[in-house]
Formats: sequence, C-alpha cells, structure tokens
Amino acid sequence: MTTCLPFRSLRTIGSRSVGWLASAYALFLAEPAFAEQRAGNIWGLAPCVTVHGEKIDALFMVIFWLTTFVFVVTQGTYIYFLIAYRKRPGHKAYYSHGSNTLEIIWTTAPTIVFLMLAIYGNRLWEEIHRPAPSNSLVIDVSSYQFGWEMRYPGISGKLAPMDVRKISDTNHWGTDPDNPLTSQDVQATELVIPVGRPVHLLLHARDVIHSFYVPEFRMYQDCVPGRTIGWVWFQATRTGNFQIACNQLCGTGHYNMKAPIRVVTEQEFQKWLQPRQQKNATAAPSSSPAPVATLTQP
Amino acid sequence: MSVTITADSHSDALHGDLGHGHGKKGIMHYLWNTDHKVIAMQFLFTSILYVIVGGAMALAMRWQLAFPGHPIPLIGNFLPSTIVSEDGALIPGGYNVLVTMHGTLLVFFVAMPILIGVFGNFLIPFKIGAGDMAFPTLNEISYWLFSISGIIMLASLFVPGGGPGTGWTAYAPLSSFAKYNGTPLGQTLWCVSLFVNGLSSLTGAVNYITTVITMRAPGMSMFRMPLPVWAIFLTAILLILAIPVLSAAAALIIFDLNFGTTFYKPEGGGQPLLWQHLFWFFGHPEVYILILPAMGFASEILAVFSRKPIFGYKAMVWAMIAIGFLGFVVWGHHMYVSGMNLTLSAAFGVSTMVIAVPSAIKTFNWMGTIWRGNIHYTVPMAFAVAFVSMFVIGGLSGIFMAATPIDLFVHHTYFIVAHFHYVLFGGSIFSVLAAIYFWFPKMSGRMFNNTLGWVHFWMTFVFFNLTFFPMHNLGLSGMMRRIADPTVYDCLRQVQPLNVICTIGAMGLGLSTIPFLINMFWSMRSGPKAPANPWNSTTLEWTVSHPIPHGNFASTPTVYHGPYEYSVPGLEKDYLPQNEKAPAHVSLEAH
Repeated sequence: MTTCLPFRSLRTIGSRSVGWLASAYALFLAEPAFAEQRAGNIWGLAPCVTVHGEKIDALFMVIFWLTTFVFVVTQGTYIYFLIAYRKRPGHKAYYSHGSNTLEIIWTTAPTIVFLMLAIYGNRLWEEIHRPAPSNSLVIDVSSYQFGWEMRYPGISGKLAPMDVRKISDTNHWGTDPDNPLTSQDVQATELVIPVGRPVHLLLHARDVIHSFYVPEFRMYQDCVPGRTIGWVWFQATRTGNFQIACNQLCGTGHYNMKAPIRVVTEQEFQKWLQPRQQKNATAAPSSSPAPVATLTQP
Repeated sequence: MSVTITADSHSDALHGDLGHGHGKKGIMHYLWNTDHKVIAMQFLFTSILYVIVGGAMALAMRWQLAFPGHPIPLIGNFLPSTIVSEDGALIPGGYNVLVTMHGTLLVFFVAMPILIGVFGNFLIPFKIGAGDMAFPTLNEISYWLFSISGIIMLASLFVPGGGPGTGWTAYAPLSSFAKYNGTPLGQTLWCVSLFVNGLSSLTGAVNYITTVITMRAPGMSMFRMPLPVWAIFLTAILLILAIPVLSAAAALIIFDLNFGTTFYKPEGGGQPLLWQHLFWFFGHPEVYILILPAMGFASEILAVFSRKPIFGYKAMVWAMIAIGFLGFVVWGHHMYVSGMNLTLSAAFGVSTMVIAVPSAIKTFNWMGTIWRGNIHYTVPMAFAVAFVSMFVIGGLSGIFMAATPIDLFVHHTYFIVAHFHYVLFGGSIFSVLAAIYFWFPKMSGRMFNNTLGWVHFWMTFVFFNLTFFPMHNLGLSGMMRRIADPTVYDCLRQVQPLNVICTIGAMGLGLSTIPFLINMFWSMRSGPKAPANPWNSTTLEWTVSHPIPHGNFASTPTVYHGPYEYSVPGLEKDYLPQNEKAPAHVSLEAH
C-alpha cells in the first residue's frame, strides 16, 4: 500500500493520534481500483465525460458557490446574533414587530436571483434536449426486470422500425419479424459507444418503469413502458469504462440492474460493431451484402 | 365564535387532570375520549410507537448499506423470512420492503399525526380560547381511523408474499401489477391503509378548519392568532385539497391489482405517468403539510425565548399562504426526468424556484426575530434554533435539483435523500422535538429534566448531521437511492467509507432517542410540578393551570392584542398575555 508511506513519516513526527487517524484513512482508501480512481477528489464527485455533463457541472458550480455564499453569510449572521443577543443581566430585548422595507428587500432579492437561476437552468435544459445531430449513432435500449439490452443498426445502417405496442415477452424490441432489417439488427448486452460522436438513445421499458442513469454522463432518464423516449443524446469526451444503473425502484433485483458501458475510440468501435453486422448480414438471406454504410439516423 | 364550550358548561363532567376527567374510569378513558387534549395524547403515544418501528427499519437499512450481506445484529434473526435470509442478513426484496415501510410510516404515521394530530388537537382550542374542537366525536373517530390504518399498514408486512416493496411513492405499473411486484396482497393493504389514513386526515382537517373559523374567543381576530394556529389552519386546507387525490389514485391501484383494470398499464390503454401526476399532485402539497406546522412551532418558540415579538408577523402569515398556494403548482419537479413533456418540466422549474421565495422570507424573519433579542437558551429553544439552520441547509440543497439540468445528475440519488432528510428530519422533526419540550409542561403538568434534554439535543444535532451530510457526497458520487447493496457498482465501492460514516451517525441518532424517551416517560409522572406559565409566554394556553378540566377555560377569555407582545417598553414584566389589556401608558406597535 503505497498510500501508507506519507502517513508513516507523519508518525515519526511524534503525533500518535494523527498517525492512527491517517492509518484508518489509508485503510479506507486502500480499496483496490475497480473503476476509475477518484483519488484527489475529496467530494466524491463522479467524473464527467460528456459535453452536456460539463455544462451541467458549470451550472452546478454556479449554484454551489451561490448557495455556499448565502449559507456562510446567513448562518454567520445567525450565529453572531445567537451569541451577541444571549440573555444578559439587566438587558431587555428591543421591541419591534418588523420592518416593511426589509420584507420588501428580502422578498425581491431572492425572487430575482431564483428567476435568473430558472432562466439559466432552462436555457441549458433546452440546449441539452435539442434534437440529436443527424450524424448521431442511434442505439435502441431496452430495459426489463432486471437487465438491459441494446440494439445497434445492422449492415444497412438503419435500425429496424419498431412499434412499442408490439413489445412482448417474445418480441423484445417490438420489431416486425417480416422486415428484412430486423434480422440485421445487432444485439448486445453492453453499451459500446465511440468517443466524440453523438449517440442518440431510444429508451424502452418492457415491463415497469426503469431508468437509464449514468452519473459520469450526468444523465438520468426514466424508461416508460408503452413509450419510446427519444430525446436522450450525448457525446462522450473521453474513453473509459462505466456502468448503466437502473435508478428507479423496479422490484427485487433493482439494486443489481446494471450493464457495462465502454466508451472506445472510433476504430475500436468499428472493430467491435462490423464483425457483428457482417455476421447478421450473412445469416439473413433477404439482405444484400452491401459494404458497411455510415451509420445514420433511421 | 357562536359556539362556546367552557369548563363551566361541562359542569356535569368530572373535572380533573389530563387523562383523569370526563367521567370514564380506567383504560376506557384513554381508548374513547372526545377531549381534544386526550386525543392529542392518543396521537402522540401511537406515533411514538411508529417512530420506534420506522426508526429501527432505517437502522436495519443503514446496517445493510454499510455492511452489505452481514447479518443484522440483535434483531436479524427475529425478522420474517420475506425480509431477511436464514442467517439474519437483509435480502434485496426485504430491503425494498423496509424502504417502503420506513418512508410510509415516517410520513403518514409519524410526521403527519404528530405535527397535525398531536399539536393541531392540543394547540388549536387552547390558543384560540375554545373549550374543545368543533366536532369532538369526529375528532376521536379521526384518531381511530388513523389507528386502524396503522394496523392495516403493519399487517401488510405479514401477509402471503410479504409487504409492499415499491417505495413510499409506489410507482405504477410496478405497484399495480402483481406479476411485476410479487406482493399484490401487501400492496393492496398498503393502498387500503393510506385510504383509511386519508379519511382520518380529512376528518381531522374539517375539524381544525371549522374550529378555527367558528370558535375563536372574543377579540381573537385572524391576525391575532398565534402562528402555530395559522400554520395548522393552512395545513388543514392543503389536506382537504390534496388527500382525496391520493385516495383516488390508491383506489385505482387497488382496482388494477385486483380487478383487472388498466388505469396505469399501457397494454390496456392506461398511462404509467398518470399515477405519478396524481401521487405528486398530492405529494408536493404533502411536503408543505409536513413543514408548515413545523415552521409555525419554531416561529413561536423563537419569539418566546428571544423575548421579542415575531419579526414580520403578517409577512410570516402571507408567506405561509403563498407556500400553500404555490405548493399546488410545483408537483412536476418530481417528474422532470420521468418522461413528462420537457417544456412542462421547464415550466415546473420556474414555479419551483418561485416557491423558494416564501421560505427565504420566513428564514430572514426568524433571523430578524432573534436580532436584538434577549435569548434564553432552553432545550426547546435549542431545537428551534437548530431547526432554522437545518432548514436552511435543506432549502439550499433544494435549489440544486430545482434547476432542471442539475436534476439530470442528482435525481433519485443520495443527494435527494440528504435533501429531504434535512427538511423532514432537520426541519419537521427538530421542530416537533422543540414543540414537545416546549409544551410538555402544559401537556403533563410537569417539567422535563433539563440535563437529559440537553444530552438529547446535542446527540440529535451531532448525529443527525453525521448521518445525513455525507449523503450529499454519496449522491454526487452517483449513489442511487433505494439500492440494497451499493458495492455491486464499481464507482460506489470507492465511496463505501462514507456509507459506514452515515451508518455510525444513524446508530448514534437511534441512541439519542433513549435519553428523550426516558426523560418524557419519567418526567410525565415524576418530574417537578410545572407552573401554569413556565416560559412566561403570552398565548392563552399558558393562562390555565393543571389540572386542566374538559372545557379548558373557566370562562371564555377575551383577547386584546396580537400573540407576541414581548419586551413591551413601559411594562414591568417582559411579556403581555393576550388576555391582559395593555395599561393606558403603554402603546403597542401594530404588527
């Protein structure tokens, strides 16, 4: 455990209690790295790997500093009052029923600040939910008790059309079995996405409400049975391994309803997708073995 | 004001101490009694039982989150097999049941009955100078409906299939389709219980509203009412408007579960989001139902122990009215990312930011109240002072998720868990504890033990923050609420030490109730006798001394001025009770 080294030198300074505390802390941190280490981040904040996520974090920091300022000022004043106006012999409280001027000030000021925050927030909300760019990679995500399935476009570059009303225990995607595109679709149990390219998700739920939650993407969206949620898209800014978590209580297996996410380079992504597309293309007699097309929105 | 009940008009009843009058002897006296004071005590003792049950459930959950899969110490082996495995460790389905029950019990069977059932009953007649509630029998029926609903709720844990595990929000179609939840009977009982509980709330609310409107003593105009009465009055109006929606929605779940209807099922043309709209149309006013009375108690206690009139009495009332009104147009902020129309989310984002304004006004007025005061530090004051700070933290963290894009990050994470525990525990429950200590002398006729009170306060304050503050960080690290085992996620294993810290805090919080309960039950019987007005307070309940007869006042009091006339210049004593005329040489400031 390399983390112990600085603490050992602390101990030589002579403060036994500091050394003990530091060792306890080191034990906490000694947890091996399963995912990306968040060392150096004392807040435990999840790393952010999407373009929208960075904007959300910027808004987060604005609100963080604003609320910290308000907290320090109001609570500082409050604590000062609590000490300064404690009961003292011979002292009598000041008789006052309040001040209309002050009421007007502390009604107007927060209203202005809160409305500005609402405007800032909603502008970003609108920006995040603009239609996905036309060069987006479209992936169908299906959630069920208790897992995830993904569907990528096949060799023709198009997802087979689906109808949520056709989703059933036997037809997970609600696609038309007679449509040649259906057999081309590439199915996966992990979400593999290229870095730097917009990814457009079509979110579905087969039974109850689940949610597509990835803290590193700063993204939460419920998947509602009977509907396609089609407004979720994002663009990863770097590669890495993450997890989809279901974050809507969905039954006994809810706590473990997860799926891996791999954000990879465009080359690695093609290396992963193309053999699967080819395999489905040769298996499907009705589709012509055309060269791999650029993936576009259906 | 046409109806007057006084102690004299009840001369046929045996007068006596709280719980020792009104003719009946023995246990029946406590089981069926129409005296508002006794009903308040019935609500209090029943709710304390649920605090213990619901709190123990929270501790079991915290144990599982800190040490997943380890048998729960002490009680693990005594829990039903639908909740724990053979070795006494929580199973995931059992964890979901505890999540559901903890939330449901603490909201519907602890916070609501204590804030409204206990203090609404106890304070309204006293504070407005009435002898009892307008409908005393309906009042007792309200208690028994509450009691029955609690029995139904607990029974749901022991039916075949086990208790409901769908969260206190019971999102459909998980809750409305037996194939998905596996606990149709438990879920049905949950709905029935809330339906009956809703009837109890409605009968109570009708009573409070009628009492406040018709039974105020002469001179007690609306704007001379103490703030707790205003708060409970407004809360009762919210209850009447919000509760029927929950009852109707719960009835639809019963139909879906048992009679094959498809209100919430898309396969039959239903809409899963319908439940969320109905639930949160109730659920958001409910949040304010749980905080308005707490704000009322804290306002009064801060004024009493600062020996100052409440700062901006009318602003406080109007802020509560604004909260009550706006509370009905913000429910969508629970649904920003539910699949609801995105523009609607944005609109709810604006109304949610606006509803923060009246809360800010109240906070500034509380600070104005202690400003240049003469602050007496007592146990109830300590809880009221802490209430303001905890409410500020909970309010400020609320601004984060009020901003629509931030909700994409923190929705349904421990950041939210931290937020609502800061407002519901740090807010409502701190204020409830302040109120229990403050009115304990009037309820029991005796004083509580100060040392135990201070021990209780500091333990609660320290362990509360130790439990819930790190949850903000857990949420930002991506920890989902309602998961039975955070260590299955790679990114959460690294923050597991924070979960251990929260659990240590929760254990301390559990222990903190011991000095409290010992203090209450010991002092109730053996504490030193309390004077009629131990806090030198101005409102009418402090003008009657123990034993308080049914009917409360020997004759209907007359009210001459507003409720918080403290430290009036020119007066010898630093308070002027509402039923005492100000001497000619003293002029009272308009409030």
